[in-house]
Amino acid sequence: MQVNNNIDILIAKHFSEELTIDEENMLTSWLNEDVNNIAYFNQLRNIWQVSYPSFNPETIDVAKAEKKIMKTIKVKRWTQMPAVVWWQRIAAIIILPLFLLMAYLINKEKNLTAEVVYQEIFSPFGVRSQVNLPDGSKVWLNSGSRLKYPVVFKSGIRDVYLSGEAYFEVHSDKNNPFMVKTANLAVKATGTAFNVEAYSTDSVIAVTLVHGKVNVELNNDRNIALVPNQRLSYNNKSNSYNLAKVDTYKWCTWRNGILVFRNDPLDYVFKKIGQMYNVDILVKDTQIASQPYRATFEGESLEEILRLMKMTAPIRYRRTERFKTKNGEFSKEKIEVYKQKINEL
Amino acid sequence: MNEEHYLLFELKQGNKEAFTLLFQKYYKDLVLFGGNFLYDKVRCEDIVQTIFLKLWSDREVLVVNTSLKSYLLRAVQNSCLDEIRHNQVKYEHESYTAAFGLDDNVDTENYILYSDLQNHLDEALSKLPEACRLAFEMNRFEGLRYKEIASRLDVSERTIEVRIGKAIGLLRVYLKEFFLLVSMLLFKEL
Repeated sequence: MQVNNNIDILIAKHFSEELTIDEENMLTSWLNEDVNNIAYFNQLRNIWQVSYPSFNPETIDVAKAEKKIMKTIKVKRWTQMPAVVWWQRIAAIIILPLFLLMAYLINKEKNLTAEVVYQEIFSPFGVRSQVNLPDGSKVWLNSGSRLKYPVVFKSGIRDVYLSGEAYFEVHSDKNNPFMVKTANLAVKATGTAFNVEAYSTDSVIAVTLVHGKVNVELNNDRNIALVPNQRLSYNNKSNSYNLAKVDTYKWCTWRNGILVFRNDPLDYVFKKIGQMYNVDILVKDTQIASQPYRATFEGESLEEILRLMKMTAPIRYRRTERFKTKNGEFSKEKIEVYKQKINEL
Repeated sequence: MNEEHYLLFELKQGNKEAFTLLFQKYYKDLVLFGGNFLYDKVRCEDIVQTIFLKLWSDREVLVVNTSLKSYLLRAVQNSCLDEIRHNQVKYEHESYTAAFGLDDNVDTENYILYSDLQNHLDEALSKLPEACRLAFEMNRFEGLRYKEIASRLDVSERTIEVRIGKAIGLLRVYLKEFFLLVSMLLFKEL
Protein backbone atom coordinates (compact mmCIF):
# COMPACT_ATOMS: atom_id res chain seq x y z
CA MET A 1 0.00 0.00 0.00
CA GLN A 2 1.58 3.25 -1.09
CA VAL A 3 1.11 6.56 0.64
CA ASN A 4 -1.46 8.46 -1.36
CA ASN A 5 0.17 11.88 -1.21
CA ASN A 6 -2.27 14.19 -2.92
CA ILE A 7 -5.34 12.80 -1.25
CA ASP A 8 -3.64 12.89 2.17
CA ILE A 9 -2.95 16.58 1.62
CA LEU A 10 -6.60 17.25 0.75
CA ILE A 11 -7.89 15.23 3.69
CA ALA A 12 -5.56 16.98 6.15
CA LYS A 13 -6.64 20.35 4.75
CA HIS A 14 -10.27 19.31 5.17
CA PHE A 15 -9.73 18.56 8.86
CA SER A 16 -7.85 21.84 9.34
CA GLU A 17 -10.57 23.76 7.48
CA GLU A 18 -8.05 24.98 4.92
CA LEU A 19 -9.76 23.66 1.74
CA THR A 20 -10.58 25.85 -1.22
CA ILE A 21 -13.92 25.28 -3.00
CA ASP A 22 -12.22 23.45 -5.88
CA GLU A 23 -10.31 21.16 -3.56
CA GLU A 24 -13.48 20.41 -1.63
CA ASN A 25 -15.16 19.24 -4.82
CA MET A 26 -12.14 17.10 -5.67
CA LEU A 27 -12.27 15.45 -2.27
CA THR A 28 -16.02 14.86 -2.44
CA SER A 29 -15.80 13.18 -5.84
CA TRP A 30 -12.88 11.04 -4.67
CA LEU A 31 -14.93 9.89 -1.68
CA ASN A 32 -17.85 9.00 -3.93
CA GLU A 33 -15.65 6.94 -6.25
CA ASP A 34 -15.15 3.98 -4.02
CA VAL A 35 -16.35 2.69 -0.68
CA ASN A 36 -12.72 1.88 0.25
CA ASN A 37 -11.91 5.56 -0.06
CA ILE A 38 -14.45 6.31 2.63
CA ALA A 39 -12.89 3.71 4.90
CA TYR A 40 -9.48 5.28 4.28
CA PHE A 41 -10.86 8.73 5.06
CA ASN A 42 -12.41 7.39 8.27
CA GLN A 43 -9.11 5.99 9.47
CA LEU A 44 -7.34 9.30 8.90
CA ARG A 45 -10.13 11.15 10.70
CA ASN A 46 -9.87 8.71 13.61
CA ILE A 47 -6.13 9.40 13.91
CA TRP A 48 -6.68 13.14 13.55
CA GLN A 49 -9.31 13.27 16.28
CA VAL A 50 -7.45 11.13 18.78
CA SER A 51 -4.15 12.97 18.24
CA TYR A 52 -5.56 16.01 20.02
CA PRO A 53 -9.00 15.61 21.59
CA SER A 54 -11.22 18.66 22.14
CA PHE A 55 -10.92 18.29 25.90
CA ASN A 56 -8.04 17.34 28.08
CA PRO A 57 -8.66 13.69 29.04
CA GLU A 58 -7.20 14.39 32.49
CA THR A 59 -10.08 16.71 33.29
CA ILE A 60 -12.77 14.07 32.84
CA ASP A 61 -13.61 12.83 36.31
CA VAL A 62 -14.91 9.30 35.80
CA ALA A 63 -15.26 8.56 39.51
CA LYS A 64 -17.38 11.65 40.07
CA ALA A 65 -19.65 10.83 37.15
CA GLU A 66 -19.95 7.25 38.34
CA LYS A 67 -21.04 8.42 41.78
CA LYS A 68 -23.67 10.65 40.25
CA ILE A 69 -25.03 7.86 38.03
CA MET A 70 -25.07 5.29 40.83
CA LYS A 71 -26.97 7.67 43.05
CA THR A 72 -29.58 8.08 40.35
CA ILE A 73 -30.15 4.38 39.82
CA LYS A 74 -30.08 3.44 43.46
CA VAL A 75 -33.38 1.84 44.47
CA LYS A 76 -32.36 -0.28 47.43
CA ARG A 77 -34.67 0.20 50.37
CA TRP A 78 -33.45 0.42 53.95
CA THR A 79 -36.62 -1.34 55.05
CA GLN A 80 -35.78 -4.54 53.18
CA MET A 81 -32.69 -5.03 55.33
CA PRO A 82 -32.62 -7.21 58.45
CA ALA A 83 -32.16 -5.19 61.64
CA VAL A 84 -28.75 -6.73 62.43
CA VAL A 85 -27.29 -5.72 59.07
CA TRP A 86 -28.71 -2.26 59.58
CA TRP A 87 -26.97 -1.85 62.96
CA GLN A 88 -23.74 -3.24 61.58
CA ARG A 89 -23.77 -0.60 58.91
CA ILE A 90 -24.46 2.20 61.35
CA ALA A 91 -21.58 0.95 63.51
CA ALA A 92 -19.22 0.81 60.54
CA ILE A 93 -20.12 4.34 59.57
CA ILE A 94 -19.36 5.67 63.07
CA ILE A 95 -16.31 3.61 64.02
CA LEU A 96 -14.16 4.20 60.96
CA PRO A 97 -14.14 8.01 61.18
CA LEU A 98 -13.34 7.76 64.91
CA PHE A 99 -10.39 5.60 64.05
CA LEU A 100 -9.19 8.02 61.40
CA LEU A 101 -9.58 10.97 63.72
CA MET A 102 -7.44 9.27 66.34
CA ALA A 103 -4.73 8.40 63.85
CA TYR A 104 -4.74 11.98 62.62
CA LEU A 105 -4.45 13.48 66.09
CA ILE A 106 -1.57 11.19 67.08
CA ASN A 107 0.26 12.05 63.89
CA LYS A 108 -0.34 15.77 64.31
CA GLU A 109 1.19 15.74 67.75
CA LYS A 110 4.34 14.11 66.41
CA ASN A 111 4.76 16.67 63.68
CA LEU A 112 4.00 19.77 65.71
CA THR A 113 7.21 19.46 67.69
CA ALA A 114 9.43 20.25 64.68
CA GLU A 115 9.49 23.80 63.34
CA VAL A 116 10.73 23.89 59.72
CA VAL A 117 13.79 26.05 59.07
CA TYR A 118 14.45 27.10 55.47
CA GLN A 119 17.69 27.77 53.70
CA GLU A 120 17.69 29.94 50.60
CA ILE A 121 20.28 30.11 47.81
CA PHE A 122 20.47 32.44 44.84
CA SER A 123 22.49 32.13 41.62
CA PRO A 124 23.12 35.63 40.21
CA PHE A 125 23.06 36.18 36.44
CA GLY A 126 26.23 34.84 34.85
CA VAL A 127 26.65 32.25 37.61
CA ARG A 128 25.43 28.66 37.93
CA SER A 129 25.54 26.72 41.17
CA GLN A 130 25.13 23.18 42.41
CA VAL A 131 23.54 22.26 45.75
CA ASN A 132 23.27 18.98 47.60
CA LEU A 133 20.05 18.76 49.60
CA PRO A 134 19.84 17.14 53.05
CA ASP A 135 18.11 14.05 51.59
CA GLY A 136 20.91 13.34 49.10
CA SER A 137 19.17 14.93 46.11
CA LYS A 138 21.27 17.10 43.78
CA VAL A 139 20.13 20.41 42.33
CA TRP A 140 21.81 22.52 39.62
CA LEU A 141 20.61 26.10 39.75
CA ASN A 142 20.74 28.19 36.58
CA SER A 143 21.60 31.91 36.40
CA GLY A 144 19.15 34.26 38.05
CA SER A 145 17.38 31.51 39.98
CA ARG A 146 16.39 31.12 43.60
CA LEU A 147 15.84 27.90 45.57
CA LYS A 148 14.40 27.61 49.06
CA TYR A 149 14.65 24.28 50.89
CA PRO A 150 14.23 23.03 54.47
CA VAL A 151 17.46 22.44 56.36
CA VAL A 152 15.94 19.19 57.63
CA PHE A 153 13.30 17.34 55.64
CA LYS A 154 10.29 16.37 57.70
CA SER A 155 8.97 12.85 57.15
CA GLY A 156 6.10 12.43 54.72
CA ILE A 157 6.97 15.20 52.30
CA ARG A 158 10.02 16.95 50.84
CA ASP A 159 9.08 20.43 49.61
CA VAL A 160 11.40 22.88 47.87
CA TYR A 161 10.49 26.23 46.30
CA LEU A 162 11.92 27.42 42.99
CA SER A 163 11.91 30.63 41.03
CA GLY A 164 13.98 30.42 37.83
CA GLU A 165 15.47 27.29 36.29
CA ALA A 166 16.89 24.21 37.95
CA TYR A 167 17.80 20.62 37.11
CA PHE A 168 16.99 18.02 39.77
CA GLU A 169 18.39 14.57 40.44
CA VAL A 170 16.11 13.33 43.18
CA HIS A 171 17.17 10.72 45.65
CA SER A 172 14.64 7.88 45.54
CA ASP A 173 12.24 7.57 48.45
CA LYS A 174 8.81 6.19 47.59
CA ASN A 175 7.23 7.06 50.94
CA ASN A 176 8.36 10.68 50.96
CA PRO A 177 7.60 12.21 47.57
CA PHE A 178 9.79 15.14 46.50
CA MET A 179 7.85 18.31 45.60
CA VAL A 180 9.16 21.27 43.60
CA LYS A 181 6.79 24.21 43.99
CA THR A 182 6.83 27.24 41.70
CA ALA A 183 4.44 30.17 41.38
CA ASN A 184 2.24 28.37 38.86
CA LEU A 185 2.91 24.67 39.08
CA ALA A 186 4.11 21.91 41.36
CA VAL A 187 6.13 18.85 40.34
CA LYS A 188 5.86 15.69 42.40
CA ALA A 189 8.60 13.09 41.97
CA THR A 190 10.13 9.98 43.44
CA GLY A 191 13.64 9.00 42.35
CA THR A 192 14.04 10.76 39.05
CA ALA A 193 15.87 13.40 36.94
CA PHE A 194 14.06 16.41 35.53
CA ASN A 195 14.43 20.07 34.59
CA VAL A 196 12.10 22.91 35.63
CA GLU A 197 12.00 26.34 33.95
CA ALA A 198 9.99 28.87 35.92
CA TYR A 199 11.52 32.33 35.59
CA SER A 200 9.07 34.85 36.97
CA THR A 201 9.64 37.10 33.95
CA ASP A 202 8.55 34.44 31.45
CA SER A 203 4.94 33.59 30.79
CA VAL A 204 5.88 30.06 29.71
CA ILE A 205 6.94 27.57 32.36
CA ALA A 206 8.19 24.12 31.48
CA VAL A 207 9.07 20.75 32.98
CA THR A 208 11.28 18.30 31.08
CA LEU A 209 11.58 14.72 32.30
CA VAL A 210 14.83 12.85 31.57
CA HIS A 211 14.12 9.62 33.41
CA GLY A 212 11.89 8.30 36.17
CA LYS A 213 8.38 9.56 36.79
CA VAL A 214 6.89 12.90 37.78
CA ASN A 215 3.44 14.32 38.25
CA VAL A 216 2.88 17.98 37.40
CA GLU A 217 0.08 19.88 39.06
CA LEU A 218 -0.90 23.08 37.24
CA ASN A 219 -2.44 26.23 38.63
CA ASN A 220 -5.97 25.12 38.13
CA ASP A 221 -5.41 21.75 39.81
CA ARG A 222 -4.99 19.87 36.54
CA ASN A 223 -2.72 16.88 37.03
CA ILE A 224 -0.44 15.59 34.31
CA ALA A 225 1.83 12.56 34.53
CA LEU A 226 4.98 12.78 32.41
CA VAL A 227 6.90 9.94 30.83
CA PRO A 228 10.64 10.20 30.09
CA ASN A 229 11.60 12.43 27.12
CA GLN A 230 8.47 14.52 27.48
CA ARG A 231 8.41 18.27 27.94
CA LEU A 232 5.37 19.99 29.36
CA SER A 233 5.18 23.70 28.66
CA TYR A 234 2.50 25.73 30.38
CA ASN A 235 1.49 29.24 29.45
CA ASN A 236 0.08 30.93 32.52
CA LYS A 237 -1.37 33.80 30.49
CA SER A 238 -3.60 31.61 28.33
CA ASN A 239 -3.79 28.87 30.97
CA SER A 240 -3.06 26.22 28.33
CA TYR A 241 -0.39 23.59 28.16
CA ASN A 242 1.38 21.49 25.57
CA LEU A 243 3.00 18.08 25.93
CA ALA A 244 5.70 17.16 23.45
CA LYS A 245 8.26 14.45 22.91
CA VAL A 246 11.65 16.16 22.98
CA ASP A 247 15.33 15.52 22.88
CA THR A 248 16.00 16.18 26.58
CA TYR A 249 19.68 16.82 25.85
CA LYS A 250 18.81 20.28 24.60
CA TRP A 251 16.97 21.32 27.76
CA CYS A 252 19.40 19.99 30.32
CA THR A 253 22.85 20.87 28.97
CA TRP A 254 22.97 24.33 30.55
CA ARG A 255 24.15 22.81 33.84
CA ASN A 256 27.40 21.80 32.12
CA GLY A 257 27.77 25.28 30.62
CA ILE A 258 26.67 24.06 27.18
CA LEU A 259 24.06 26.01 25.23
CA VAL A 260 22.13 24.02 22.65
CA PHE A 261 19.78 25.61 20.13
CA ARG A 262 17.74 23.60 17.68
CA ASN A 263 15.72 25.85 15.39
CA ASP A 264 14.94 28.24 18.22
CA PRO A 265 13.94 31.84 17.46
CA LEU A 266 16.84 34.32 17.66
CA ASP A 267 15.34 36.41 20.45
CA TYR A 268 15.16 33.28 22.63
CA VAL A 269 18.74 32.37 21.70
CA PHE A 270 19.98 35.81 22.80
CA LYS A 271 17.92 35.70 25.99
CA LYS A 272 19.61 32.45 27.00
CA ILE A 273 23.09 33.72 26.09
CA GLY A 274 22.42 36.91 28.04
CA GLN A 275 21.38 34.91 31.11
CA MET A 276 24.55 32.86 31.02
CA TYR A 277 26.98 35.76 30.50
CA ASN A 278 25.17 38.40 32.55
CA VAL A 279 24.50 40.86 29.71
CA ASP A 280 21.24 42.28 28.38
CA ILE A 281 20.94 41.41 24.69
CA LEU A 282 18.01 42.98 22.89
CA VAL A 283 16.89 42.07 19.38
CA LYS A 284 15.82 45.39 17.91
CA ASP A 285 14.47 44.23 14.53
CA THR A 286 11.28 42.20 14.79
CA GLN A 287 12.04 40.79 11.35
CA ILE A 288 14.90 38.69 12.65
CA ALA A 289 13.59 38.03 16.18
CA SER A 290 11.68 34.93 15.13
CA GLN A 291 14.26 33.51 12.72
CA PRO A 292 15.12 29.91 13.64
CA TYR A 293 18.73 29.35 14.64
CA ARG A 294 20.70 26.17 15.24
CA ALA A 295 23.96 26.00 17.16
CA THR A 296 25.81 24.46 20.10
CA PHE A 297 28.14 26.57 22.24
CA GLU A 298 30.45 24.91 24.71
CA GLY A 299 32.65 27.08 26.87
CA GLU A 300 33.23 29.82 24.27
CA SER A 301 33.62 33.35 25.54
CA LEU A 302 30.83 35.85 24.88
CA GLU A 303 32.98 37.64 22.25
CA GLU A 304 33.60 34.37 20.44
CA ILE A 305 29.88 33.47 20.46
CA LEU A 306 28.91 36.88 19.07
CA ARG A 307 31.57 36.57 16.37
CA LEU A 308 30.35 33.09 15.35
CA MET A 309 26.71 34.17 15.30
CA LYS A 310 27.52 37.15 13.12
CA MET A 311 29.10 34.75 10.64
CA THR A 312 26.10 32.44 10.50
CA ALA A 313 23.14 34.81 10.82
CA PRO A 314 22.37 38.11 9.04
CA ILE A 315 22.91 40.31 12.10
CA ARG A 316 25.10 43.10 13.45
CA TYR A 317 25.67 44.39 16.99
CA ARG A 318 25.91 47.63 18.86
CA ARG A 319 27.49 47.33 22.30
CA THR A 320 27.02 50.02 24.91
CA GLU A 321 29.94 50.87 27.18
CA ARG A 322 29.50 50.05 30.86
CA PHE A 323 29.36 53.13 33.01
CA LYS A 324 29.80 53.67 36.71
CA THR A 325 26.48 54.16 38.52
CA LYS A 326 26.03 56.56 41.45
CA ASN A 327 26.83 53.96 44.08
CA GLY A 328 30.10 53.00 42.43
CA GLU A 329 28.92 49.79 40.75
CA PHE A 330 29.29 49.13 37.06
CA SER A 331 26.09 48.89 35.02
CA LYS A 332 25.12 45.70 33.24
CA GLU A 333 26.47 45.61 29.70
CA LYS A 334 23.87 46.07 26.96
CA ILE A 335 24.08 44.69 23.42
CA GLU A 336 21.60 45.65 20.73
CA VAL A 337 21.10 43.36 17.72
CA TYR A 338 20.03 44.64 14.30
CA LYS A 339 19.42 43.13 10.90
CA GLN A 340 22.48 43.29 8.69
CA LYS A 341 22.40 46.05 6.11
CA ILE A 342 22.28 44.92 2.50
CA ASN A 343 25.67 46.45 1.61
CA GLU A 344 27.35 44.49 4.40
CA LEU A 345 26.50 41.18 2.80
CA MET B 1 -18.03 -15.49 24.52
CA ASN B 2 -15.69 -12.57 25.13
CA GLU B 3 -15.60 -10.10 27.99
CA GLU B 4 -17.98 -7.65 26.38
CA HIS B 5 -20.62 -10.27 25.64
CA TYR B 6 -20.34 -11.51 29.16
CA LEU B 7 -20.76 -8.01 30.62
CA LEU B 8 -23.76 -7.37 28.37
CA PHE B 9 -25.32 -10.66 29.44
CA GLU B 10 -24.78 -9.84 33.11
CA LEU B 11 -26.12 -6.32 32.59
CA LYS B 12 -29.36 -7.76 31.23
CA GLN B 13 -29.63 -9.84 34.41
CA GLY B 14 -29.52 -6.58 36.33
CA ASN B 15 -25.97 -7.02 37.62
CA LYS B 16 -24.88 -3.61 38.86
CA GLU B 17 -21.21 -4.55 38.95
CA ALA B 18 -21.24 -5.34 35.24
CA PHE B 19 -22.85 -1.95 34.65
CA THR B 20 -20.16 -0.23 36.74
CA LEU B 21 -17.40 -2.00 34.82
CA LEU B 22 -18.88 -0.93 31.50
CA PHE B 23 -19.20 2.61 32.77
CA GLN B 24 -15.57 2.75 33.90
CA LYS B 25 -14.39 1.17 30.67
CA TYR B 26 -16.14 3.53 28.27
CA TYR B 27 -17.10 6.76 30.02
CA LYS B 28 -13.98 8.84 29.34
CA ASP B 29 -13.60 7.68 25.73
CA LEU B 30 -17.23 8.41 24.94
CA VAL B 31 -16.97 11.94 26.34
CA LEU B 32 -13.85 12.53 24.24
CA PHE B 33 -15.63 11.15 21.18
CA GLY B 34 -18.52 13.55 21.79
CA GLY B 35 -15.93 16.33 21.80
CA ASN B 36 -15.53 15.81 18.06
CA PHE B 37 -19.07 17.15 17.59
CA LEU B 38 -19.59 19.53 20.51
CA TYR B 39 -16.90 21.74 22.03
CA ASP B 40 -18.72 21.81 25.33
CA LYS B 41 -17.36 19.36 27.87
CA VAL B 42 -20.22 19.73 30.33
CA ARG B 43 -22.79 18.99 27.61
CA CYS B 44 -20.80 15.98 26.41
CA GLU B 45 -20.60 14.56 29.91
CA ASP B 46 -24.37 15.05 30.32
CA ILE B 47 -25.04 13.28 27.05
CA VAL B 48 -22.87 10.29 27.94
CA GLN B 49 -24.40 10.03 31.43
CA THR B 50 -27.88 10.09 29.95
CA ILE B 51 -26.91 7.28 27.58
CA PHE B 52 -25.67 5.16 30.46
CA LEU B 53 -28.80 5.80 32.50
CA LYS B 54 -30.85 4.66 29.54
CA LEU B 55 -28.61 1.60 29.13
CA TRP B 56 -29.47 0.64 32.69
CA SER B 57 -33.19 1.36 32.60
CA ASP B 58 -33.68 -0.40 29.24
CA ARG B 59 -31.34 -3.27 30.08
CA GLU B 60 -34.04 -5.95 29.85
CA VAL B 61 -35.26 -4.94 26.42
CA LEU B 62 -31.87 -3.93 25.02
CA VAL B 63 -31.07 -5.13 21.50
CA VAL B 64 -27.45 -4.71 20.42
CA ASN B 65 -26.77 -5.95 16.89
CA THR B 66 -23.24 -4.61 16.68
CA SER B 67 -20.45 -4.55 19.23
CA LEU B 68 -21.38 -2.68 22.38
CA LYS B 69 -18.60 -0.15 21.75
CA SER B 70 -20.08 0.64 18.35
CA TYR B 71 -23.58 0.85 19.84
CA LEU B 72 -22.47 3.36 22.49
CA LEU B 73 -20.45 5.47 20.02
CA ARG B 74 -23.44 5.66 17.72
CA ALA B 75 -25.66 6.73 20.59
CA VAL B 76 -23.22 9.52 21.50
CA GLN B 77 -23.01 10.63 17.87
CA ASN B 78 -26.79 10.73 17.47
CA SER B 79 -27.31 12.68 20.69
CA CYS B 80 -24.61 15.20 19.75
CA LEU B 81 -26.05 15.70 16.27
CA ASP B 82 -29.54 16.16 17.74
CA GLU B 83 -28.10 18.73 20.10
CA ILE B 84 -26.48 20.59 17.21
CA ARG B 85 -29.64 20.58 15.11
CA HIS B 86 -31.65 21.67 18.09
CA ASN B 87 -29.30 24.54 18.83
CA GLN B 88 -28.51 25.50 15.27
CA VAL B 89 -30.55 28.64 15.53
CA LYS B 90 -29.06 29.55 18.88
CA TYR B 91 -25.46 29.10 17.85
CA GLU B 92 -25.64 30.31 14.31
CA HIS B 93 -22.75 32.72 14.70
CA GLU B 94 -20.51 30.66 16.90
CA SER B 95 -18.09 27.94 15.86
CA TYR B 96 -20.06 25.57 17.99
CA THR B 97 -19.71 22.43 15.94
CA ALA B 98 -16.46 20.65 15.33
CA ALA B 99 -14.59 20.58 12.06
CA PHE B 100 -16.98 18.48 10.05
CA GLY B 101 -20.53 18.77 8.87
CA LEU B 102 -23.72 17.31 10.18
CA ASP B 103 -24.05 14.64 7.52
CA ASP B 104 -20.65 13.22 8.33
CA ASN B 105 -21.13 9.77 9.69
CA VAL B 106 -18.37 8.15 11.67
CA ASP B 107 -17.82 4.46 11.07
CA THR B 108 -18.33 3.52 14.70
CA GLU B 109 -17.70 -0.17 14.13
CA ASN B 110 -14.07 0.44 13.18
CA TYR B 111 -13.48 3.55 15.28
CA ILE B 112 -10.56 3.25 17.67
CA LEU B 113 -11.01 4.86 21.06
CA TYR B 114 -8.64 7.41 22.55
CA SER B 115 -7.46 5.06 25.33
CA ASP B 116 -6.59 2.36 22.83
CA LEU B 117 -4.93 4.51 20.20
CA GLN B 118 -3.15 7.17 22.26
CA ASN B 119 -0.03 5.20 23.22
CA HIS B 120 0.48 3.80 19.75
CA LEU B 121 -0.02 7.26 18.33
CA ASP B 122 2.75 8.74 20.47
CA GLU B 123 5.07 6.05 19.23
CA ALA B 124 4.04 6.65 15.61
CA LEU B 125 4.55 10.39 16.01
CA SER B 126 8.11 9.86 17.12
CA LYS B 127 8.79 7.88 13.94
CA LEU B 128 7.76 10.74 11.62
CA PRO B 129 10.39 12.78 9.76
CA GLU B 130 11.19 15.76 11.97
CA ALA B 131 9.87 18.44 9.60
CA CYS B 132 6.53 16.63 9.12
CA ARG B 133 6.09 16.03 12.82
CA LEU B 134 6.85 19.65 13.64
CA ALA B 135 4.32 21.00 11.14
CA PHE B 136 1.67 18.48 12.24
CA GLU B 137 2.16 19.30 15.93
CA MET B 138 2.12 23.05 15.36
CA ASN B 139 -1.18 22.62 13.55
CA ARG B 140 -2.76 20.14 15.97
CA PHE B 141 -1.35 21.05 19.38
CA GLU B 142 -0.90 24.78 18.99
CA GLY B 143 -3.86 25.24 16.65
CA LEU B 144 -1.91 27.34 14.15
CA ARG B 145 -3.21 27.97 10.62
CA TYR B 146 -1.07 26.72 7.73
CA LYS B 147 -0.20 30.30 6.90
CA GLU B 148 1.18 30.99 10.38
CA ILE B 149 3.22 27.79 10.41
CA ALA B 150 4.67 28.64 7.00
CA SER B 151 5.77 32.09 8.14
CA ARG B 152 7.21 30.79 11.40
CA LEU B 153 9.28 28.16 9.64
CA ASP B 154 10.02 30.49 6.76
CA VAL B 155 8.82 28.11 4.03
CA SER B 156 5.96 28.28 1.53
CA GLU B 157 2.41 27.40 2.50
CA ARG B 158 2.46 24.62 -0.09
CA THR B 159 5.40 23.02 1.72
CA ILE B 160 3.37 22.96 4.93
CA GLU B 161 0.40 21.37 3.10
CA VAL B 162 2.68 18.62 1.84
CA ARG B 163 4.30 18.07 5.24
CA ILE B 164 1.02 17.81 7.15
CA GLY B 165 -0.50 15.60 4.45
CA LYS B 166 2.56 13.38 4.59
CA ALA B 167 2.41 13.29 8.40
CA ILE B 168 -1.19 12.05 8.51
CA GLY B 169 -0.54 9.58 5.66
CA LEU B 170 2.52 8.13 7.40
CA LEU B 171 0.74 7.92 10.75
CA ARG B 172 -1.86 5.75 9.10
CA VAL B 173 0.84 3.53 7.60
CA TYR B 174 2.47 3.12 11.04
CA LEU B 175 -0.88 2.40 12.69
CA LYS B 176 -2.24 0.22 9.91
CA GLU B 177 -1.51 -3.00 11.76
CA PHE B 178 -3.44 -1.62 14.65
CA PHE B 179 -6.52 -0.80 12.57
CA LEU B 180 -6.38 -4.28 11.08
CA LEU B 181 -6.16 -5.80 14.52
CA VAL B 182 -9.27 -3.98 15.64
CA SER B 183 -11.37 -5.23 12.73
CA MET B 184 -9.99 -8.75 13.30
CA LEU B 185 -11.12 -8.66 16.91
CA LEU B 186 -14.54 -7.51 15.83
CA PHE B 187 -14.69 -10.29 13.35
CA LYS B 188 -13.99 -12.79 16.10
CA GLU B 189 -16.66 -11.32 18.31
CA LEU B 190 -19.51 -11.68 15.88
